[in-house]
Amino acid sequence: MGSLFAQISAVVKMNLLSLPKRVGSSLTTLLAVAIVVTVLLAFMAMGQGFQKTMAGSGSEDVAIMLRGGSAAELNSGLGGDVYTNVSSSPGIAKDENGPIISGELYVVVDGVKKSSQTEANLPLRGIGPAGFSLRKNISLIDGRMFEEGKTEIIVGTSILSQFSGFELGSKMKFGATEWTVVGVFDAGGSVFGSELLTDVRTLQAQFNRGNSYQSIRVRLDGPEAIQKIRDFIESDPRLNLDVMTEQAYYSDQSRDMGRLVYMGWGLAIFMALGALAGALNTMYTSVEAKAVEIATLRAIGFKGISAFFGTLVESLVLAIIGGVLGTLIAFLLFDGISTSTMGGSFTQVVFDFNVSADAFKSGIILAVIIGLVGGFFPAWRASRMPLLKAFSS
Amino acid sequence: MNNFTLVRKNLTRNKLRLFLNCFAIFIAFLLFGALGAIKNAFDAGVELSADDRLVTVNKINFTQPLPLAYVNKIRTLEGVKDVTWANWFGGYYQEPKNQLMTFAVDPESYFEVYDDVVVDEQELENWKKDRQGILIGERIANARGWKVGDRIPVSSNIFSKHDGSSTWDFNISGIVRPENPQTDTSYTLIHYKYFMETQIWGGDWIGWIPLTTQNPELNEEVSRAVDKMFANSPAETETSTEAQFSKAFVEQMGDIGFIIMSVVMAAFFTILLIVGNSMWQSIKERTSEIAVLKTLGFTAEKVFAMVLAESFLLAALGGILGLGGAWLSIKAITPMTQSILPALVLGHQVFISGLMFIAILGFVTGIVPAWQAMKLNTIEALSRR
Repeated sequence: MGSLFAQISAVVKMNLLSLPKRVGSSLTTLLAVAIVVTVLLAFMAMGQGFQKTMAGSGSEDVAIMLRGGSAAELNSGLGGDVYTNVSSSPGIAKDENGPIISGELYVVVDGVKKSSQTEANLPLRGIGPAGFSLRKNISLIDGRMFEEGKTEIIVGTSILSQFSGFELGSKMKFGATEWTVVGVFDAGGSVFGSELLTDVRTLQAQFNRGNSYQSIRVRLDGPEAIQKIRDFIESDPRLNLDVMTEQAYYSDQSRDMGRLVYMGWGLAIFMALGALAGALNTMYTSVEAKAVEIATLRAIGFKGISAFFGTLVESLVLAIIGGVLGTLIAFLLFDGISTSTMGGSFTQVVFDFNVSADAFKSGIILAVIIGLVGGFFPAWRASRMPLLKAFSS
Repeated sequence: MNNFTLVRKNLTRNKLRLFLNCFAIFIAFLLFGALGAIKNAFDAGVELSADDRLVTVNKINFTQPLPLAYVNKIRTLEGVKDVTWANWFGGYYQEPKNQLMTFAVDPESYFEVYDDVVVDEQELENWKKDRQGILIGERIANARGWKVGDRIPVSSNIFSKHDGSSTWDFNISGIVRPENPQTDTSYTLIHYKYFMETQIWGGDWIGWIPLTTQNPELNEEVSRAVDKMFANSPAETETSTEAQFSKAFVEQMGDIGFIIMSVVMAAFFTILLIVGNSMWQSIKERTSEIAVLKTLGFTAEKVFAMVLAESFLLAALGGILGLGGAWLSIKAITPMTQSILPALVLGHQVFISGLMFIAILGFVTGIVPAWQAMKLNTIEALSRR
């Protein structure tokens, strides 16, 4: 048994040391695997980066209410009476000012994307006095808070990074009124950072929305609170509201972008099939090139299985180096790149590409599969090589 | 035995290698065809837009409303040919995920501006007379199997009626057919007046104003005149050509064209490596044969041409199969992508550029081996044995 192991390691060593002789075809396989892994990781980084932003946005202890069936804030609409009725519901946490509740209005305004210089949809959100503190991980980092009744806005850092014209102190015109940026806030990479915030009453007045809202956010006072609110709404025929935790709302909104990960896998599998063809070609060529060596070893008593493993390990080594190279390229090219896309509420969401540990693992697994399959059949041929034929060629 | 037979025999001497190379090329062109069609579908709105058509929207953002009175004011401007207006209904069929793009429009003026689609004269007459009538695009009619005379419920995820329900029933009056098959007809049209009178908020606001100019050269002048007319009013406007508007909208998704092109390029580069390497390998193995051919009197040019022909044949074999595969798969997924990417077809341009890439692939992978074969020194090559 020990001698079989010695045989295998001798052949593996021989194959690996002879790699530089076939540098052209070996590099081909290596690079092909690297490109496939890079493409897979690019899509995963995009999809997972978006999901990370959305997942970081929702709190478990904040509930969001929309008009029944509206699914997204932009489509929703609630009268001022709904706000008044709901605020007396059980389940809402209270502080010295009464229930912690924020009626919010969400209008879409134009901003100029730095990358393309085209106009894109940005959310201008009016929030109630409790609105700012209801958001997780949010803090003012520059300037000051907007004042109630004034056309002042505070802007998220994600907006500042991707859109031009929103720097502290800059003024912009929406309709006939001029708005001033008085503060900058950081939201820890969440979707809130892709918003412009202002006082809800001012926004209602400036955009002729009367006393209407689009969503209501409340702080929950316990794990059963959301059910209490649902029961309260159920018991009042005037109320037609969907209630969900903020976390559920945002994870729902990220579902479409999550499909990017599947699309990445689809593309990568197709390309991997192409790379596999290349790997097989390379390995068959390698087996043919070493036919005499393999036959010699077999003639002096080496077992076929040692030739098998020699070829398989050679293929695996090439594929794994390729896979590691691919993950490195993906990491250097894509990790942390900031970009924005249209989110579920018809406005831009800024997010960072995120090459996660999970993606690294997937990349290496894909590379190993290419190496295994691409090596198996040529290895099989190597272990079965008829001695006479090898010597006669 | 003619030259072609020789090329063919050379190509098929190692069946396994031929299969693997063909397969790699097949995959590359399958991706090329499918992704090319997807990219075209995103660009369709830009490419198919009429060059004399402008869109006026609220300057704050196109989701903000405009007053209906603007339409008649714009009509009086010099250089303007026809003007109409439209509202977004937020429609869906039965389930919110079955989006049904529905516009509430003015029946009298809509087809003056959108003259690249046609409706049967009788059907159009019937629609104008029936307040509850709806016109459906040909694509929707085909996808859902709806016919003229059917009564369909259309729900809105934004608006509701006075009775609290948000579902309207409409009678299908006719089908909107495109003049160019790529023109998007995956929308439905309802009466603006009926919509405004039946939804609870009412009012006389509109979503956007499509208009045509008398001459595309007047586009810029007209846009400026429109926006100037409403400057410093509560609802300022922004007027752009239909193409600019569609382009900005697609840009909002992110740079889709760039992502798709990168993937295609990555796939091509991979296949170039694999096939190029393999061609080089197979010529190296044939060194002595080529020397024999030359000894027999084949000129260097002929050897060069034969090796190049071999790589072209290989690229064409895999590539054409790949484009065919892409065509079939696009055809197969069209029913599922109807609502997301209505203009998904593998058009002529994709085929033609595919053929161009096949030629490039054949040339790039064959040129070095062909050059080596041409320059091969007969005596040296034969003495190597």
